[in-house]
Amino acid sequence: MAKTRALRRRIRSVESISQITRTMEMVSTSKLKRAQDRVVGARPYAAALAEVLGDLLDPDLAERFPLLRQPRPPERGGPRRAALLLVTSNRGLAGAFNANLIRAARERLAALEARGFAVDLLVVGKKGVNYFRFVRRPMTVTRVDIGDKPTAEHAAELATPLIASFEAGELAGFDVVFAQFKSALSTPPVVQRVLPIQGQVPVARTAGEPAAPPRPRGGQAANFILRPGADEILAALLPLYVRNQVYRAMVETAASEHGARRTAMKNATDNAGEMLDLLRRTYNRARQGQITQELAEIVGGAEALKG
Amino acid sequence: MSPERTLFEGDATAVVAPAYDGRVGILPRHAPFLTLLGKGELLVRQGAETRKFLVDSGFAQVAGDRVRLVVERAEVTSAA
Repeated sequence: MAKTRALRRRIRSVESISQITRTMEMVSTSKLKRAQDRVVGARPYAAALAEVLGDLLDPDLAERFPLLRQPRPPERGGPRRAALLLVTSNRGLAGAFNANLIRAARERLAALEARGFAVDLLVVGKKGVNYFRFVRRPMTVTRVDIGDKPTAEHAAELATPLIASFEAGELAGFDVVFAQFKSALSTPPVVQRVLPIQGQVPVARTAGEPAAPPRPRGGQAANFILRPGADEILAALLPLYVRNQVYRAMVETAASEHGARRTAMKNATDNAGEMLDLLRRTYNRARQGQITQELAEIVGGAEALKG
Repeated sequence: MSPERTLFEGDATAVVAPAYDGRVGILPRHAPFLTLLGKGELLVRQGAETRKFLVDSGFAQVAGDRVRLVVERAEVTSAA
């Protein structure tokens, strides 16, 4: 019967789809593990950098360091350019992961443009690049080569030119949109202002991350022999801090991508299972109905012959 | 430690680091100290053994009996 054959075909296709999603789920789980290790591995450096900067930093210093200075708003002669870096993934099939990131970026973009800034858009990841190409929004930098293993060098390539133009007073601000890796299940898109460096340095601590390690107290910065001097050290370390924030944004997004994909694939596998149950039940009922009907026909035929 | 991972953590009898203006040696009981690092070779001595790293830009912090080297790029050139 046509109906049973159609049902059989659907059952087969749902089965193979669920096999694929189950495999992708497992692949994402193992990639997630590695990406998570990279997030964790990045923490001591970030914590140490933030701690030393926090010790050296002093509210009065802001005026002397261009990276800390809040530029004048454009209507008072400040720079009209701002930069926005969006980090997305190269691959899809991760639920609303990339769509959420793109939406956050578009909102930020609209907000900046409403305040009169011309925004340079930097996009990492094929998904973001394709979207903005589709809506014909020009991008200054597009990177699809980074993949899910970003390195500190990648971050430096992206951040260094921006640091330079910010110091030169051409850039009003630099924001990063990325997926914060709260946990494998929670990866909200986050907009973070990277430049100018915000007053209180120890920012951007991921939830669940232990607070800064206990450190020997007692007038830290004051008692250190500083070489060359606090100013020079700060001048050298602030760019490191900015680059590290970009690096962390990329690492967290990479880990979040795998987390999001694992969740999406798990849901898909579960749904396929439910669908299979339903299809199998319908199929069996149809098959039984057919057998019953054939039996009735045979019996009816035999009765007629007996006549 | 580098942005990507912590390359080494452990006891050392001496550390020779490439500071911005020349090499600096750090022995136990060094005074609290913070210096910028340049590019060069970092040696960590553990008794008779020496670990070597290549590092570039960052800082070294000595606090109490702990030395912390935070560098933007680092590579292990020879393990102990």
